[in-house]
Amino acid sequence: MGRSGAGKTSMRSVIFTNYTAHDTRRLGATIDVEHSTVQFMGDLSLNIWDCGGQHKYLDNYLNEQKENIFGNVEVLIYVFDLETTNQESEYELYDECLQNLGLYSRDAKVYCLVHKIDKILDDDMKAQTIARYERAIKKRTKGFDMEVFGTSIWDHTIYRAWSRIVYKLIPNMATIERHLRNFCELTEASEVVLFERATFLVVCHTTVDETQSLNRYMNVSQAIKDYRRTCQAVQAPFHSMEVRNRYYSIFVEPFTKSTYILVITTDPEVEPAVTKANINAARSHFVKLADNSEVLQ
Amino acid sequence: MSDTDLTQGSQLSEPLADRRILVMGMPRSGKTCIMQLIFEDKNPYDLMDQLIPPTMVRTAYDMISGITVYDFPGIEDLADVGGPDPEIFVGPNTSLVYVIDAQNEAGKSLAELLALIRVALAANPALPVNVFIHKIDGLSEELKMETQQGIQQRVLKNMGFESLDSSNVQFFLTTVFTETIREAMSRVSLRMVPRCDYLESLLNSFCSKSSLDKVFLLDVRSKIYLATDSSPTDPQLYQFACKTIDTIGDISMLCAGLGPERDDEVVMQRTVVTMDTNMRLFMYQVNLELSLLCLGPSAVVKQQSLLEFNAAKVAKAIRQILQ
Ligand SMILES: Nc1nc2c(ncn2[C@@H]2O[C@H](COP(=O)(O)OP(=O)(O)OP(=O)(O)O)[C@@H](O)[C@H]2O)c(=O)[nH]1
Ligand SMILES: Nc1nc2c(ncn2[C@@H]2O[C@H](COP(=O)(O)OP(=O)(O)O)[C@@H](O)[C@H]2O)c(=O)[nH]1
Ligand SMILES: [Mg+2]
Repeated sequence: MGRSGAGKTSMRSVIFTNYTAHDTRRLGATIDVEHSTVQFMGDLSLNIWDCGGQHKYLDNYLNEQKENIFGNVEVLIYVFDLETTNQESEYELYDECLQNLGLYSRDAKVYCLVHKIDKILDDDMKAQTIARYERAIKKRTKGFDMEVFGTSIWDHTIYRAWSRIVYKLIPNMATIERHLRNFCELTEASEVVLFERATFLVVCHTTVDETQSLNRYMNVSQAIKDYRRTCQAVQAPFHSMEVRNRYYSIFVEPFTKSTYILVITTDPEVEPAVTKANINAARSHFVKLADNSEVLQ
Repeated sequence: MSDTDLTQGSQLSEPLADRRILVMGMPRSGKTCIMQLIFEDKNPYDLMDQLIPPTMVRTAYDMISGITVYDFPGIEDLADVGGPDPEIFVGPNTSLVYVIDAQNEAGKSLAELLALIRVALAANPALPVNVFIHKIDGLSEELKMETQQGIQQRVLKNMGFESLDSSNVQFFLTTVFTETIREAMSRVSLRMVPRCDYLESLLNSFCSKSSLDKVFLLDVRSKIYLATDSSPTDPQLYQFACKTIDTIGDISMLCAGLGPERDDEVVMQRTVVTMDTNMRLFMYQVNLELSLLCLGPSAVVKQQSLLEFNAAKVAKAIRQILQ
């Protein structure tokens, strides 16, 4: 949800289809609601409702359609356009959406994206702006679990927000995380990261330092998605990559049907072939976990 | 002090490097964009957004193997400024790049090119002249061909009228939006690399002994290749190679801080990329700047240790040749 031109369709196209940030310049305004379903991590279906933000549609959502729009919502993603000319009416719209959400989907999670953050060049200014939004939004958000992200389709921030959103949606995440940590220890790897196969969003990882590592992984998400597009263009679909030198080895390998795995080893004693064999050995075990969220708790 | 001639600039007192590429053309033809793209790793879209001030002084960029690229200020009218010092064209390892804006009427630019060629060839009859027909993005395939043919014919015809030898004139279609520009620059520098014939035959034999399809020896920073085997270069494949280098760079950032403490250490980096088709890519570090990038069928690259063994030998030979 969000005003017209805020960037909802752009963000959806960059994450879930093969759009580059440049491609989004071609997008027109969304007519009414665009429904799409994405398979995520095997049997998790995400039903995404991209609600066109022009006035006539918004009126409709908040009046005649409110039960249809705000009923059965698991996640509301509200996109604030940083470049809005009327901040007050933006917040009013947000208030109205939350009011309806409170009526029909009391348990929904809310994510607020302060979008087009690339328009602010200075890093301190960026942080300040996000903090300012966060304070204002928090004040208006009562009775909901809510998080704020500064995002832009021009860098990894959009991957970061969406990784966080889907992370919360995967039911057996704790189990997957535990097993990934075990695997990391067994292979004597220094870091292991699990990516969703289609979107390359980070599903989970083994490092403790949350913010620092996430930013690094998001850059990988963006790089691999970009690279896959290039590979497609030469009719040679990407399969895997391995970078080794005297100090470290990085492996990016298809893992289960719905995931990719990234393994970093820094121990020169660990042979690459052994790491690869370990990845292969762990695969069959993770297939049960990652591709089917109902097994094992 | 001569007036605003072509060699004006802060480095005027400095002699030009022995191996040099001189980049010239009308103002706004795209010279500085090309330099910033290749040597400063700028993104083409950022280049379009930013306002690049006109070049006022000659700017030097160091390329691999001691080749220096000079971005000259654009000139409206050679006759006005008295023309460049003919001395700069002299020397067996000098090459001229002339950039023409393909999205604009080329007449004036071509007249200037001809005036430049007259001066340059008088000073150095063997000088390679490389005409970059630039900004071809946005032109249809058909229009691209038409533009190239038009420009090519006019240049060659006019040179013929004046009995100038045109055997060293080459034309390239370029844009900063694809790797066409890097490929053209590679083609220009290729011929100036010391002992380039040796390098080529070395890569040819590496290719055939290891059953590879294509091998590039390239500068990882600028992605310019300074040698390749003699099989034809598929632009798409080169574009793909460039993108692979970028991706490896992005992924390696993960391990920033884990690498060597001194940045002059060769870390023996090797990369393998596998495709879902019968193709693999293998990259092998030769020295701080250069890497070998090999493309071949999976079966070959699968025999990884053998390939690495061969690559190590080739890398050693290359280091000796370039020393
Ligand atoms: N600078 C910048 N521009 C963006 C960003 N995200 C989207 N845009 C641009 O914003 C414009 C509008 O984007 P859309 O995705 O169509 O907006 P929307 O929210 O779907 O609009 P409606 O469908 O009318 O509700 C496009 O031209 C995008 O390229 C961003 O993060 N940064
Ligand atoms: N469409 C297009 N524009 C380009 C390209 N290369 C450069 N330009 C534009 O051409 C203009 C002049 O470029 P600049 O490098 O300053 O020219 P210089 O005076 O020759 O150094 C700039 O506005 C660039 O954005 C290209 O490949 N395609
Ligand atoms: Mg839309």
